[in-house]
Amino acid sequence: MRRNELTLLPKLPLLITEAADEFDALRDAFEQEIKPRGIIEHMYVHDISSIVWEILRLRRCKVVIINSAFRSALQDLLKQVLRQPGQYEHHVEGEAQILAQSWFTDQEAKKQVSEILSGFDLDESAIEAEAITRSSSDLEVLDRMLTSLESRRNKALGCVAEYRANLAQQLRDSADRIIDAKGVLRLEDAASERSTAA
Amino acid sequence: MASEGQIAANHRNARKSTGPRSGAGKKRASRNAYRHGLTLSITSSAAYAKQLDRLVREIAGNTEDPILLERARAIAQAELELARVRRVKVALIERASAFGELDPPQAFSSVTQIIRLLNAIDRGRVPSFPEPVDSSATMPSQEPDRSAEAIRRVLPELRKLDRYERRAAAQRERAVLELSDRIKYGDNP
Repeated sequence: MRRNELTLLPKLPLLITEAADEFDALRDAFEQEIKPRGIIEHMYVHDISSIVWEILRLRRCKVVIINSAFRSALQDLLKQVLRQPGQYEHHVEGEAQILAQSWFTDQEAKKQVSEILSGFDLDESAIEAEAITRSSSDLEVLDRMLTSLESRRNKALGCVAEYRANLAQQLRDSADRIIDAKGVLRLEDAASERSTAA
Repeated sequence: MASEGQIAANHRNARKSTGPRSGAGKKRASRNAYRHGLTLSITSSAAYAKQLDRLVREIAGNTEDPILLERARAIAQAELELARVRRVKVALIERASAFGELDPPQAFSSVTQIIRLLNAIDRGRVPSFPEPVDSSATMPSQEPDRSAEAIRRVLPELRKLDRYERRAAAQRERAVLELSDRIKYGDNP
């Protein structure tokens, strides 16, 4: 039944760098938790998995955007801290560029940068802050998209619960109608009938 | 509720919003629908129509109730629309990853540059054409940096598509509620 429903639902398109089995594992985990019944519930679970997949994709993107701004952020920060009174930024540009480049591969350079920064009561978090500031316009858009996706995921979870509650109510109503229509003997009726006969 | 004055002000403001005015703005706006094609009806493709019918039948079961069928169709349509928006999103990211941007590189980025070129020709000079920028060359070569950079470059487009996606999801939720009501109350909603 489940396989049939999954083949009917459109497959989530993935980037060529994304693994289909990882998405399947994510959806299976949601199915284990939610235990969908019927095509509508499967639809919602598929939707929730797709939204969560996209949330993960955008979160990865956020991290990469910040990381890729690290070098230029470090270079700018170094230009600021290396500059002596009376000097312009271009006087220290070469030194800042070399240090920023070496920071990623050379432990000595990393130590040197830490010492320079600590002279101004700064540490590596200052580089991260600068990297975030430089990418803030992109990060802001990503954050809005993530907020929108998270709200849709929560709504979809709510929809499953609501749909189930509606279904349960329908089943109760149907059962009541069947009992009323067929005049099924109720326990209290049976008891009164027995007392009358006696 | 808005007062008459507010309504009149809204009408006045709406008359001012007549879309893009500059030539470049009009040209850009005219290409909006070509970029993702989401304004096309979902039933315009035969494959979609077939998939839609199968999904409708699965949702509605064996019923012949036309209202129930119609509501099942609305759910299926919204579901396929959601899938379509997701496909477009991925296609845009893949395209940006491959070429570095969505639009082909332009030789001239402004009218002023074209005028300068024509003036140079008028003065009998041999104009030098600017080299087109190869955007793919500025893309990171390794993953996941390349995909992330591609996403960053198409963020404005993805943000627009998010609106389509939310609308399709809302349509589906409304349709599911209506279907539940129909099943619950039958002919007496």
